[in-house]
Amino acid sequence: MPPIIETRNLTRIYRPDTVPVYALNGVDLDIEEGEFTAIVGPSGSGKTTLLNMIGGLDRPSSGEVIIDGTEIHDLSDSQLIDFRRTHIGFVFQAYNLIPVLTARENVEFVMLLQRWSREERHRRVLELMKAVGLEDKLDSRPAQLSGGQQQRVAVSSALASRPLFVLADEPTANLDSQSSGKLLDMMARLNKEEKMTFLFSTHDQRVIDRARRVVTLVDGKVDSDLVRDTVTPPS
Amino acid sequence: MVVTALALGIWAALAMTGMATGMMRSYVRSAIGIQTAHLQIHHPVFREQMESRYLLPEPDQLQTTLLSMDGVSGVALRSIAQGMVASSRGTRGVLIKGVDPGQELTVSTIGSKVISGAFEELENSNGILISVQLAEKLKVGLRKKVVLTVQDLSSTITSGAFRVVGLFHSGNTPFDEAHVFVHRRDLNRMLAAGQSGSIPGHEIAVLLDRPERAFPLADSLKQMWPTLDVNTYRQLSPDLQLYESQIGSISLIYLSVIMLALVFGIINTMLMAVLERTREIGMLMAIGMNRVLIFRMIVLETLMLSVIGAPFGLLLGAITIGWIGKKGIDLSSFSESLAEFGLDAMLYLEVDPQVWFQVPAAVLLTGVVAALYPAWKAVRLKPVESMKRL
Repeated sequence: MPPIIETRNLTRIYRPDTVPVYALNGVDLDIEEGEFTAIVGPSGSGKTTLLNMIGGLDRPSSGEVIIDGTEIHDLSDSQLIDFRRTHIGFVFQAYNLIPVLTARENVEFVMLLQRWSREERHRRVLELMKAVGLEDKLDSRPAQLSGGQQQRVAVSSALASRPLFVLADEPTANLDSQSSGKLLDMMARLNKEEKMTFLFSTHDQRVIDRARRVVTLVDGKVDSDLVRDTVTPPS
Repeated sequence: MVVTALALGIWAALAMTGMATGMMRSYVRSAIGIQTAHLQIHHPVFREQMESRYLLPEPDQLQTTLLSMDGVSGVALRSIAQGMVASSRGTRGVLIKGVDPGQELTVSTIGSKVISGAFEELENSNGILISVQLAEKLKVGLRKKVVLTVQDLSSTITSGAFRVVGLFHSGNTPFDEAHVFVHRRDLNRMLAAGQSGSIPGHEIAVLLDRPERAFPLADSLKQMWPTLDVNTYRQLSPDLQLYESQIGSISLIYLSVIMLALVFGIINTMLMAVLERTREIGMLMAIGMNRVLIFRMIVLETLMLSVIGAPFGLLLGAITIGWIGKKGIDLSSFSESLAEFGLDAMLYLEVDPQVWFQVPAAVLLTGVVAALYPAWKAVRLKPVESMKRL
């Protein structure tokens, strides 16, 4: 089965006309379905840039990004937005949730954009919020939730429309250890039970320990690509 | 803040429109009441030449026919002559109106403008009604004598002594200084130059129950009496036509100016909102909200502000206009200046019905226009730059 994410000689140069900075410098990467992969590296190594490219939020200076057979680097801005909506889930470090909407409404949001029926949305929201253990927080606003709870709602929101994979940029960066643990447990369970592919960018050792594959970037290049047989069990 | 600004802006637009409309309507009503009535009928050459010999034919028949028509609430026959009024202290050129007091009160408000003496005392032989301003200039008062001089039907200059039986103040200084009123019988006697039989009269004034009836009625009368000169109040006094035609324009101008100011306020507020929500908008684009939806979201949010603010403004405006429309604003400290322009000292706010629809429409349009630039700025955002990081 072909990888769901492929990058070919992916390069991103900032300020090419003055002092060029190679945020990515010829990255080749394949991600299979069901992977739980961490992208690690020092600050400035290109982790976020790589996730931006794969998520279609930024365009490469050269090279290719192929998601489920589609060369997304050739898509127009509008096509990219549509593609993201149907194929990719996002969990950001912060600002995941719309502050004026409840948890239920935040999770429903992408389904609304995809014009799911009311019944389908209702069913999926309950299913996801139960999966993340927050079925009693459906009508809470983000301000009424803890950081960990917000991130769990964000994961539900990212999974709501059944994307091909979820990109998570430092999802535990703002969480205490207990909340981080719960979040990781949940994502690992979803990865195992629903075969959901997760791709993280992280500094967090706890995330790294739970990842089955760890790709290390240094100066915009893949320094190492380690696949583990065993990972740290759930807390 | 935007909601409050909108509400106050609408209130201001309505209040200013109400003031302008009230002032103009007051002027028009006053002019109709004092000067023109709704229609006047003359000999075809009279208004141009202003000579006494251009008389109306069969005025009694004309009056009877007019009184039988729908919408006619008063008809008065007048004799008119240009002449001089003189006292021992001064002389003034005036237009002398010879009226039948009973008929005149059915077409004119002059009776209510008499502040000293009585309009009905014109029934007394050789009584004259002059304005307060004219009395001051001639240095005369109630019961004093003045001499009227006119050119009679045989073009002979003739004079007659009249006693002041009333002083009037219409609030329109140019009118007051140029007009005097006597009984039609007394003026006709001067004009008759010894001829037997009564002088028919020069002018029939018609008052209607509604001003808008004047125009179709004038057309009918012109067809019925093609040899007579029939004119509506707008034709008699073109400034009234100007005022009436400007009422609608004035309200639109006020509305436009206020909405223009509001546009910039709304643009500023929504730009700030877009700036503050840059990350949120970037996140929405990242998860798949397309630019059309982002654009629509910003526009709808702006419209919502307008829709919330508008009813408050309309309510405030309705209360203001309803209250001041009844009570009026007393501008008597400016009455002299206002009178120079023919304006009343009491100002009653009035707003035409269509303004109540124009204002909400203007508010919606303002909201849409004001939203365009902030919405454009929002859709130009790049998710990555907006969010700083994925």
